[in-house]
Amino acid sequence: MIKVGSIDWFKLNSTLHRDIGYLCIGFTIVFAISGIALNHVGDWDPNYIVERTEKVFLAKSDLPDKQLNVELLMLFPNSEPIKATYWESVTQYKLFFKNGGAITVNFAKETAVYEYFQERVIFKQFNTLHLNEAKKGWIVFSDIYAGLLLFLALSALFMVKGKYSAWRLKRGWLIIVGGSIPLIYIFW
Amino acid sequence: MKIINKISLLFMTLIMSTSVFSEEILFGKAVNEEAKVSISTLLASPTEFLDKEVTISGTIVGVCSSRGCWVDIASDAKFEKLRIKVRDGDMVFPIHSKGRQALATGTLQAIELSLEETKKYKVNLAKRRGDTIDTENITVAMSIYQLSPIGVKILD
Repeated sequence: MIKVGSIDWFKLNSTLHRDIGYLCIGFTIVFAISGIALNHVGDWDPNYIVERTEKVFLAKSDLPDKQLNVELLMLFPNSEPIKATYWESVTQYKLFFKNGGAITVNFAKETAVYEYFQERVIFKQFNTLHLNEAKKGWIVFSDIYAGLLLFLALSALFMVKGKYSAWRLKRGWLIIVGGSIPLIYIFW
Repeated sequence: MKIINKISLLFMTLIMSTSVFSEEILFGKAVNEEAKVSISTLLASPTEFLDKEVTISGTIVGVCSSRGCWVDIASDAKFEKLRIKVRDGDMVFPIHSKGRQALATGTLQAIELSLEETKKYKVNLAKRRGDTIDTENITVAMSIYQLSPIGVKILD
């Protein structure tokens, strides 16, 4: 037993490792789930589910805006009240709704596309935290979490004694592998 | 008691979900309405306004869906818009703000394009206006402009 004075350092380290580990469960779940979600941002939208409906729209672009709006609302009858309209170009007209949805008309292609972005429950909130997009106070918490992770990593080196200790090759090779992977990516 | 809890939870959820779409949203410093300049004026002679504090207003017609790091504001002139761009995470513009009115105070910044980029940009611009242009006549590279904001107010 590593005892200096009356303190059992081995036991203290194990206790702190256990309790800080418990404390970090919530943070780890948030960062791990959002980490995977954001890693694959090229394959999917981690924040929103995009509802997209495309329909044929044969109206001419020279119709008055009011008339165009009426025809579009007939084409998408479940739309919300109109919030604003915008001519993106001579062939593209946009209609924005109160709920954040929008219709984009392409007169050249004779199509009208309704798009609505719905937040992915949990993912959006987790990603917001992961990317530090929340209030400034979150930076303090995430710094503390990073510090606690460092403690968990270092205290793990002194958790077990004997042949399965981190300092013996029987399990110590795992530390070498874990440390080598990032180094290989950096230098090779 | 359980029913009361459920009703309360439902009520809170309703309030929170509607507030996303109805509240005025503020980012950064207060908007300086006295420095208001129309987007068409800014874009007609952008070099005059470079690095000066200006305030623009208009309808939000586009939002960055990945990080909420930019919004496009419709100009008072047809087929024209100006992008407000922030560093990722400095301000996060909600995707549902499309169609809402916004005011933004900041400085106009130039992005210099190469000759090739200038040609592509001008072809795209002409397309939006329903025109065609001969890129052979384009011999000078141009700049495009965006607003770097210090304060943004998205109205209800």
